[in-house]
Amino acid sequence: MPLLTIDGKQVEVPAGTTIIQAADKLGIDIPRYCYHPALPVSGNCRICMVEVEKQPKMQIACYTPVTDGMVVHTKSPKVLEVRKTVLEFLLVNHPVDCPVCDQAGECKLQDYYMEHGQYDSRLSNVKVKKEKKAVSIGPTVMLDQERCILCTRCVRFADTITKTNELGVFERGDHSQLDVYPGKQVDNKYSGNVVDICPVGALTDKDFRFKCRVWYLAQTKSVCPGCSMGCNITVEWDKMRPHQHKKARVMRLKPRLNPEVNNYWISDEGRYNYRFIDENRILHPQLGDSLITWERAIDTIIAAIKPLKDAHKTSRIGVIASAQLTNEDLFAVRKLFKETLSGALVDFRVPQKPGFSDDFLLKADKNPNTAGANQILNPEIDTAQIIQKAKAGEIDVLYVFGQNLVSLFGKDVVAEIAKKVKLLVYQGSNINETCSYANLNLPSSVYAEKEGTFTNCQNRVQRIWPAFTPLAEAKGDWEIAGLLSAKLGGSVNYQRSSDIFKDIAAHVAPFAEMTYEKLSDQGLVLKV
Amino acid sequence: MFSAEYKQELDKITNKYEQKRAALLPLLHKVQDKDGLITPEAEKDLADYLELPVVQIHEVVSFYHLYHQEKLGKCHFAICQTSACALRGAEDIIGYIEKKLNIKAGEKTSDGKFSLETVECLGACELAPMLQHNNDAYIGFLDKKKIDEIISKQK
Amino acid sequence: MEKIASRHFGVENSHHLDVYVNGNGYAAAKKAITQMTPAAVIEEVKKSNLRGLGGAGFPTGMKWGFIPQNNPKPKYLVINGDEGEPGTFKDKYIFELDPHSLIEGIIITCYAIGSHKSYVYIRGEYKKSIQRVQEAIDEAYKAGYLGKGIMGSNFDIDIVVHPGAGAYICGEETALLESLEGKKGFPRLKPPFPAVVGLFGCPTVINNVETIACVGPIINKGAEWYAKLGSEKNGGNRLFCVSGHVNKPGVYELPNGTTLREIIYDHAGGIPNGRKLKAVIPGGISAPILTPDQLDVKMDFDSLKAIGSMAGSGGIIVMDDSTDMVWAALVAARFFAHESCGQCSPCREGSGWVYRQVKRFYDGHAKEHDLKNLPGIVNNIGGNTICAFGDAVSMAVGSYVSKFRHEFESKMKTSVSV
Repeated sequence: MPLLTIDGKQVEVPAGTTIIQAADKLGIDIPRYCYHPALPVSGNCRICMVEVEKQPKMQIACYTPVTDGMVVHTKSPKVLEVRKTVLEFLLVNHPVDCPVCDQAGECKLQDYYMEHGQYDSRLSNVKVKKEKKAVSIGPTVMLDQERCILCTRCVRFADTITKTNELGVFERGDHSQLDVYPGKQVDNKYSGNVVDICPVGALTDKDFRFKCRVWYLAQTKSVCPGCSMGCNITVEWDKMRPHQHKKARVMRLKPRLNPEVNNYWISDEGRYNYRFIDENRILHPQLGDSLITWERAIDTIIAAIKPLKDAHKTSRIGVIASAQLTNEDLFAVRKLFKETLSGALVDFRVPQKPGFSDDFLLKADKNPNTAGANQILNPEIDTAQIIQKAKAGEIDVLYVFGQNLVSLFGKDVVAEIAKKVKLLVYQGSNINETCSYANLNLPSSVYAEKEGTFTNCQNRVQRIWPAFTPLAEAKGDWEIAGLLSAKLGGSVNYQRSSDIFKDIAAHVAPFAEMTYEKLSDQGLVLKV
Repeated sequence: MFSAEYKQELDKITNKYEQKRAALLPLLHKVQDKDGLITPEAEKDLADYLELPVVQIHEVVSFYHLYHQEKLGKCHFAICQTSACALRGAEDIIGYIEKKLNIKAGEKTSDGKFSLETVECLGACELAPMLQHNNDAYIGFLDKKKIDEIISKQK
Repeated sequence: MEKIASRHFGVENSHHLDVYVNGNGYAAAKKAITQMTPAAVIEEVKKSNLRGLGGAGFPTGMKWGFIPQNNPKPKYLVINGDEGEPGTFKDKYIFELDPHSLIEGIIITCYAIGSHKSYVYIRGEYKKSIQRVQEAIDEAYKAGYLGKGIMGSNFDIDIVVHPGAGAYICGEETALLESLEGKKGFPRLKPPFPAVVGLFGCPTVINNVETIACVGPIINKGAEWYAKLGSEKNGGNRLFCVSGHVNKPGVYELPNGTTLREIIYDHAGGIPNGRKLKAVIPGGISAPILTPDQLDVKMDFDSLKAIGSMAGSGGIIVMDDSTDMVWAALVAARFFAHESCGQCSPCREGSGWVYRQVKRFYDGHAKEHDLKNLPGIVNNIGGNTICAFGDAVSMAVGSYVSKFRHEFESKMKTSVSV
């Protein structure tokens, strides 16, 4: 394997590696616009030029393969000068829209400009005007042709990743324009990704447009709960201006690199599904029409459940859990309902219509933790049977976790069940039609407020981190289980989710020897 | 839609190349010779025929100077404005035609009879100043008289 | 002086096959494919010191030698007839008046490099050339000089005429390949070079029209004869194109190494209207401009390189003392701005910027800082681009700025303060 030296540091890489890839391995950041690790090399921006000893001309780092003994300089005076040169050329026609451009704060033109000190302008001409400024080119993407530096990342994305070929560069010279084919739109299911890869503000997200300055945003790692793919994401939320946006916290989701799962990408379905984190939440425990305290809510449930436990009639307790819950939540549910209340009827599988799926990142199963639920709950009964029993009057307490029974089984069935059971508990994060039939509504956290793990369709266990505390009076699902367990003499007694995970590793064979540290931020596959 | 016969004519060109796509430039010339311009419909038909994304056809059409998406005048002047022609009075000729036809370079007369564009070197510097007429004949050693002749022939 | 590339230009109906054959046509091709090995042909062309006459002046035999013979992929010969370099018009004459000499050269070259398919890329505006070459090819097929088992041998060869569509950048060999493959004329990143990965990913030789037209005579009369003409490392004659302020603009075949003075005054009739020479472009618009004190330079690749210019395409453009050099720089800058393909940032933005900067001087709007900044702005494009177009902008426009700086200065001083 070739061994080369970059800025005095040595690195050994496989043959065929380019200089920029070798530099990335060393943590040396060579500026780049057109280069993207997941797209074919284009070599047109020229800002990654570096000095290679024994070569008369400078070489572009993104395209030049390393050789054994190669010596590269990425910060020599010549290299710094050529970066200034390229920046100057890019700014000849780039409109200085920063005050009104969403990209400000995460713009590679700004960043390299400040880093390389191209401060003194030699520009005295009118900039080339292009046809489209702030024009919608699809349901999610806004185009500003004047800001475009023609790096062609978006064209290569549409050609090689989605293979939908919506974008092209037309005309030539400095009248070149990036555009969609006349009459076409960028309307594929992964359109939002072109905004991520655009290094400047030429392609911007309509959903995020003018919403929040990026320097107000905090980033928290998580996993998308939209389907069983479990694409890694970053939840970006406003930490500095909580009074704006009608108190919404999450401003956007961004994909997070995981070469084993979603690489650099995420579907639009996952990307834009964040509003439920802040909108339409159940905020307080509610009994009938009255808001009550958590203490009273817990007592209400215990009052219904304890007699059944004492009379050995736990089979009159029905639990419809959910594959939206984390592994930790599910383990707590198991301990409470399958051990302490052993005999209770527990399942999580519901007759959900399979959603849209493709051979890329969208899976038909729109739950993030079906694999985990299968391993941890290992249900012996079907939800449909629980519903039947409830209709037949054989269930006294029906405990529902986040499922919308009305859309699954129909209004009439739910109305009937509500009459037959003594206590219908709905524990969920967002309001749906089932809430009005439930006797007791309990507010629980959304994924972005939880620490825990999901198991995706590849059986990969991935961590999620909490961005912020639960909204209003919402509590985590395993925390609520703990409150109930305490009053029943049970064993759900945890302070931290990592302790639950330790227990899962000890008691659920496929999770054996897993720890949060080992999972890190890319996850590990179950041993099945 | 390309008719079956037309596709057979196109096949004659396409079959000369090892890769179908390579026939695009001559095919565009053929379509333009027939229709006088390249229409969006023709772009789509060619995309289907060559099994290429239509955006790539449009990229080619917009990149090359000789393909137009609007019809030219019945009498089209392409005047060279580079080096030798510039040295030998191309600017005067351009100015003269602009005045005579009352249009600017890049425009067409309202009756569609004449159009004028300035182009770069046509490879006929020995005839400077010169123009290409109707994308065909090279006419050199231009002076006002020659221009008048060409214009009056068309009128 | 014996004429080579232009030997048939005065002959009536020289473009017809029977006239060509009557003048010993296709004898060289027959000799090559029946009496010589491909390696011997390459060796002969190497010894002749034939160098590429499109602009780069690369030794032709050496280029052919780069084709890997043990590569299983088909090999291609592509003839670069894009002839877009302003000041150049010689290939047009070969196309229209002597297309068979090109075809014969193609046959020999294909035989030498192991190719059975050649594409002749002709710029789209050359309607008559395209027609003449196609007619000559049709004649050659009919008479068995092209096709399967030509001239009684077992060598197959096909030639296809491919029209360009109006883009100077397609004269750059890898942009030409892109154009030939049906795409925009974007030059490719190099390496790999066309000899290894060229047309359709296969080993390819790209040569200029005139270069290939000389191959037949070299085979007929031998490398030594050709090398003796011309300069030491630059064999043979060349079709010089003279235009601009001269009495007799046209194509002049003269040995490589003839002085510029001789070409302009002894052959092209000197400057009309009693004017004096002020500046001259020696090798197409990309070549740095020369001044009257440099007229005795020998017109060959090495001599012109030594004085900071280039032999290029052989396009000589003469400017007399009525010429405003800032205007001349503007015409050049405007050309480059129109023809930049736009792929890489320095050239895309830089060529337009240079044009607008020179225009500031021409319009009388330039200020002190514009003059100070101009050389830097112009020079920054070259050396940083994907292809030599960027180098051409810097070197060509830069030569006006450096050699006629006083004219830029005087334009600046006459500007009205805004």
